[in-house]
Amino acid sequence: MHNDESITLAVDLGPLRLKNPVMVASGTFGYGQEYATLVPPERLGAVVVKGISLEPRAGNPPPRIWETCGGMLNSIGLQNVGLRNFLQEKLPWLRPLPVPVVVNLFGNTVEEYGELAAKLNGQDGVNALEINISCPNVKAGGMVFGSDPRMVFRVVSAVRSRTSLPVITKLTPNVTDITITARAAEDAGTDILSLINTVSGMAVDVRNRRPRLANVIGGLSGPAIKPIALRMVWQVVQVAKVPVIGLGGIMTTEDALEFLIVGASAIQVGTANFVNPLVTLEIIAGLETYLRAQGFADIKEVIGTLELSERAAGTF
Amino acid sequence: MSLLLRNAEVLFNDPVSVGLYHMGLRCPEIAARIQPGQFLMVRVLETLDPLLRRPFAVHRVYSNDPPTSFEILYRVVGRGTRILAEVLPRTSLSLLGPLGSGFRPPDQDGFMLMIAGGIGIAPLPFLAETLVESGLRGPYVLWFGGKSAGDLVCVEHFQNLGFAVELATEDGSAGRKGLVTQHLEKWMSRQAERPTMVYSCGPHPMQRQVAELVRQLGVKSQLSMEALMACGVGTCLSCSLRCRPPDRGQDLYYANVCQEGPVLLGEDIVWE
Ligand SMILES: Cc1cc2nc3c(=O)[nH]c(=O)nc-3n(C[C@H](O)[C@H](O)[C@H](O)COP(=O)(O)OP(=O)(O)OC[C@H]3O[C@@H](n4cnc5c(N)ncnc54)[C@H](O)[C@@H]3O)c2cc1C
Ligand SMILES: Cc1cc2nc3c(=O)[nH]c(=O)nc-3n(C[C@H](O)[C@H](O)[C@H](O)COP(=O)(O)O)c2cc1C
Ligand code: FES
Repeated sequence: MHNDESITLAVDLGPLRLKNPVMVASGTFGYGQEYATLVPPERLGAVVVKGISLEPRAGNPPPRIWETCGGMLNSIGLQNVGLRNFLQEKLPWLRPLPVPVVVNLFGNTVEEYGELAAKLNGQDGVNALEINISCPNVKAGGMVFGSDPRMVFRVVSAVRSRTSLPVITKLTPNVTDITITARAAEDAGTDILSLINTVSGMAVDVRNRRPRLANVIGGLSGPAIKPIALRMVWQVVQVAKVPVIGLGGIMTTEDALEFLIVGASAIQVGTANFVNPLVTLEIIAGLETYLRAQGFADIKEVIGTLELSERAAGTF
Repeated sequence: MSLLLRNAEVLFNDPVSVGLYHMGLRCPEIAARIQPGQFLMVRVLETLDPLLRRPFAVHRVYSNDPPTSFEILYRVVGRGTRILAEVLPRTSLSLLGPLGSGFRPPDQDGFMLMIAGGIGIAPLPFLAETLVESGLRGPYVLWFGGKSAGDLVCVEHFQNLGFAVELATEDGSAGRKGLVTQHLEKWMSRQAERPTMVYSCGPHPMQRQVAELVRQLGVKSQLSMEALMACGVGTCLSCSLRCRPPDRGQDLYYANVCQEGPVLLGEDIVWE
């Protein structure tokens, strides 16, 4: 039997090294402090904080969520404390953590993304940036940045040129061909890709014929989206040169392994934190158990090892 | 305050009236810590559908010293609560809590008015017992309204604690006919004394009218509010309710009901 020392879960994401591949997804773990008594953040691969913008945002009117079959819709409306409060009130608590702190960010315009990246650059305690491109471009009639490859290129370039921190671009699944936006982000110099953000959806209350969400449309997350997420990660790893972080509906060790096997170098856990706050710790332990049971010593022996029969076209 | 994630043993799970159940739960750590008005996120089933935990207030804590178990009172309204009603004694249920900020004691002793609409009665016995046990002498009054007589549970318990209880039902099957809020204003105008504190829990339209009434009277109120919740701990920002911002400015501000509430001061809520 292996002892703990002989199993290694560490992964390299380009410039970012994680002691294990299990991260938490933006918007589902607050600023790290909320769950800290149950999940010491230092045990995670990395902490990704709630998306922040230059100015605070009040968010959308309620109702903001609706539970669906094996998932949930949300239209939080990017509510956040804003950059200044983040730096003053949230970052000091995160700074001493011995694991990477990733700041998820978004803007209303390309310029805002760049400005935010510049202001976060060199902040002690910020170890990487994750660009949320799944939000509306105010200057383009509210069209989502992430659905247009040219806008993806411009947003990622704006961030890339203003920071020396590792840059993660978080892709939206609400596109026809995700490999095109993945390439656009790569061309603009992203170090890492993460996918997927929530899948656009809606629900209706038939008794009063009103939408369940005040915002009408929201983003679907949770186990319901896992097959979509896995398929997209699989498509992206085949064309991407940079490492990929997989997420979408991960609830268990087995779910996490599926993403790693298709080629994700790390994973993020989102909605599952609400259901089982200990899920990340359980997955970390579960990965070790799996490696041991399968006779592996290193998680890297599993990553990108999907077995395909010769005839499998990999298309649909 | 630290968050607990615990498996509690179901002691009993019985109907108390049509569609209303009470469930006894054994969980010494939560029983010892929970305060009136705080709540728990309960996982009704260890499967992925229904996915999210459900929020429930603590109805009563059994007063062993130290307490080891407590009770929730719930109404079957949808999938989650239907599943909960089928849970058998000795089953273990995953609880996350204690959550939120609960009811606070009044600044001074005096006339304490509690108002409950339907299942809004759920958190009030625990509050009532705590206030009475702390030595506050009242007088205490409960105004309790429901659709029909079957909704008006645990009235005797309040009477035993020394409460005067006033009832109302929409169908007139018990107490006055109509909504609590239709009778409350007139009743208040006949009282010699003004309440030191109004504690209220019930549906949103009722809470709104209670807030309006206490505003007119210039009385303080604590209202336990509901919102759709995913996490219950302040990370998902789904449980928002329009409130006055903490700096008392004019900015649009949404409070997290799961953290800043569920019990909020009536004067802090912006009704829209
Ligand atoms: C702080 C707090 C304390 C509560 N305490 C009690 C209590 O002690 N007893 C009791 O019977 N009920 C209580 N409720 C309401 C209770 O949570 C809902 O009735 C329950 O979640 C309904 O679940 P369901 O699956 O049966 O209904 P469904 O309608 O199928 O649920 C669908 C979704 O909506 C949510 N939801 C539905 N109704 C409500 C509601 N009124 N409030 C919040 N979320 C809702 C559910 O949690 C679920 O996510 C409380 C709510 C809150 C916010
Ligand atoms: C309540 C909620 C808030 C979210 N907020 C953000 C956010 O601020 N920035 C972001 O990039 N993604 C956000 N997401 C998306 C998640 O990070 C994740 O991409 C998505 O939920 C899919 O993963 P999951 O199925 O594991 O939850 C949010 C998701 C939820 C459910
Ligand atoms: S329920 Fe998640 S923040 Fe309140």
